[in-house]
Amino acid sequence: MSKTIVCYKWVKDEADIKVNPDLSVDLSKAKGKISDYDKNAIEAAVQAARLLAGKSIGLTFGTPKTKQSLKDALSRGLEEVCWINTEAAAEADGIVTSKALAAAIKKMDDVSLVICAEGASDTYARQTAPRLGALLQWPVITSVSKIQINGDILSASRKLDDCIETVKVKLPAVIAVLPEICNAPIPGLKAVMAAGKKPIAEYQAGDIGIDFTSKSQVSGLKAYAMNRKNIILEGDTSEKIASLVAALKKEGVL
Amino acid sequence: MSEDEKFDAIIIGAGPAGSACAYTLAKDGKEVLVIEKGDTPGSKNLTGGRFYTYALEMLDADLLKEAALERKVTHEQLMMLSGDRGITIDYYDPSFNQKGHTPVSYTILRASFDEWLAGKAEEMGAVVVCGVKVDGLIEKDGMIVGVIAGEDEMYADVVIAADGVNSLIAQHAGLINDIESHTVGVGIKEVIELSGKTIEERFNLKPGEGAARMILGCTDGIHGGGFLYTNQESISLGCVLMPEEAAERKISVHEVLQNLKMHPAVYPLLEGGHTVEYGAHLVSEAGFRGIPKKLYRDGFIIIGDAAGLVINTGYSIRGIDLAIVSGIAAANAVIRANDTASVGPAYITELENLKLIPTMKATDGFFEILETPWLYDKLPNLGADICAYLYREDGELPGSIKKDILKLVKANGLSVFQLAKFGLKGVRSL
Ligand SMILES: Cc1cc2nc3c(=O)[nH]c(=O)nc-3n(C[C@H](O)[C@H](O)[C@H](O)COP(=O)(O)OP(=O)(O)OC[C@H]3O[C@@H](n4cnc5c(N)ncnc54)[C@H](O)[C@@H]3O)c2cc1C
Repeated sequence: MSKTIVCYKWVKDEADIKVNPDLSVDLSKAKGKISDYDKNAIEAAVQAARLLAGKSIGLTFGTPKTKQSLKDALSRGLEEVCWINTEAAAEADGIVTSKALAAAIKKMDDVSLVICAEGASDTYARQTAPRLGALLQWPVITSVSKIQINGDILSASRKLDDCIETVKVKLPAVIAVLPEICNAPIPGLKAVMAAGKKPIAEYQAGDIGIDFTSKSQVSGLKAYAMNRKNIILEGDTSEKIASLVAALKKEGVL
Repeated sequence: MSEDEKFDAIIIGAGPAGSACAYTLAKDGKEVLVIEKGDTPGSKNLTGGRFYTYALEMLDADLLKEAALERKVTHEQLMMLSGDRGITIDYYDPSFNQKGHTPVSYTILRASFDEWLAGKAEEMGAVVVCGVKVDGLIEKDGMIVGVIAGEDEMYADVVIAADGVNSLIAQHAGLINDIESHTVGVGIKEVIELSGKTIEERFNLKPGEGAARMILGCTDGIHGGGFLYTNQESISLGCVLMPEEAAERKISVHEVLQNLKMHPAVYPLLEGGHTVEYGAHLVSEAGFRGIPKKLYRDGFIIIGDAAGLVINTGYSIRGIDLAIVSGIAAANAVIRANDTASVGPAYITELENLKLIPTMKATDGFFEILETPWLYDKLPNLGADICAYLYREDGELPGSIKKDILKLVKANGLSVFQLAKFGLKGVRSL
């Protein structure tokens, strides 16, 4: 049976990230979540699998904490999830991540389509789909806002800066979808309950057989704060406008 | 269990009431489904601050060892504020945290406590589903037989509403009416982060021990008060106001909390801290008389705040412990009853057996005592005036203390008669 794989990432919830006065970042209180864009990608995979009369499978590469995501992913309509469970995922760069995912995909047969979100909500590196395509030697389509499937031909609308490009590929292929690909409905009661009974495949680092050392390393993480001028303009409206124009001129903006 | 099979019980809400009930039922081998609208249990519950341990021991003595608790309360405090003045009474009792004994109460943070307790129910075998809101009940032949959530229906022998104060589900079932504003207070609370060491220094605490403080005179004369609890690495500070009076006076509860934070006797305790949580919630103020006439229908019972089980004495708020006890009572009733019709009456018997209803009855008098309007401004002011009188020396010949204090009573618009009557009423009603 044809399989549609959707790759998703378990990220820190940005709402819980604290920025200290010295601009250092405190991640200690941040809970995890499935990257928001990946939720749309998951729904896209569920719909695509239906069109392909096949199965939708979630695939995630993450630390042991990623376990918390599995039920959520399954409650979104996927039939199975596959989890590559290793501490190494915490430090993984784009190459390691896509190698790990590709290795897991190669273990499955009959894969017609691999869907990724355009980028993850934490790093938004936009590397996974192109790298996966290269590793699997499959065509890649990025910035996808709409897909149609006809037999083994997938046509995708790519949303570019100033135009929509339509491309066709023969499956299997890798696509990177934008959030507008489809809505990500909140799972209902029965969907959540059913999730508890769906199969989970778990791989350890050793099962994957790749080198998990990243070539690029994160050497620092610092918050970015906009330096505001904090100028408050006083007076009646015309005075305020006059001083606004004067202030903008002084800054060289006008 | 297949999807169209029926649960023994569906519990709505994974607060302390719902989780305690689920834990007890699942431990007995019952098939239980808990439905919680928050993304995680406790994510919407940031009320409160203090938890009485007896309730957890009643649930399962083993749980206490690993519970998500903060500090053992050994300092019971009452603070009265008037203008920029303040009186703090600090009752220190190390026996509240005696080696080898269970501490009487702990401060807690609900987000972690609720998640932990729901996790325990899950470990026992309960199915806990989060992020799903129950929209209504399914009724058949006058009996409640299940719940509706979005497009899904789910069936059970008994549906247990543990959905908190102003329970929409209990309203659905016709057991309670829409909320009456004079029976609930509006509470808001902030969690302010500070290092454990700073908290211990500022409150004069031993490591692991904590303070629970009720604050009078911080509400601009409106019926209500403030509270402060010391957690491991944060302080819970909040206040509760009667919404009608506040609306009449055009005072917002946020303003009251902000003023409390900035009070010169309070601010030094919080200085340098960061607010990490902020939220508002209703709290039942009616005590025994706030309990609905009926707590059940065929196939349906209400527990915890949904059943109005809160005691507010002015020197403490109890709701979490009562929620847990009522959850145990409901579970016992489901376990012991032979048929659906006898679950409701069995629940009432259990509430009596576990001394919950009698406790509510015994504390009923507080409702009237707390209705006394001058408790919230004149009394704290009188207290401060008396202190100012007693502690200020100027080298002059002291007057008659009795006469001078009477003068202060009068100056505050109070009379000895009023105070005596209040005392008597207090003695009589309790
Ligand atoms: C400001 C304040 C301070 C307080 N301080 C204390 C204190 O120090 N000590 C103390 O013991 N008590 C205190 N209380 C009281 C205490 O918070 C409550 O009595 C207690 O939380 C009741 O527990 P419960 O499980 O009945 O309800 P809740 O804790 O309210 O739990 C109800 C749960 O049901 C969920 N829910 C609601 N509707 C639905 C639905 N339709 N579908 C699915 N889920 C739903 C909610 O998300 C929630 O998780 C305080 C209350 C307030 C407001």
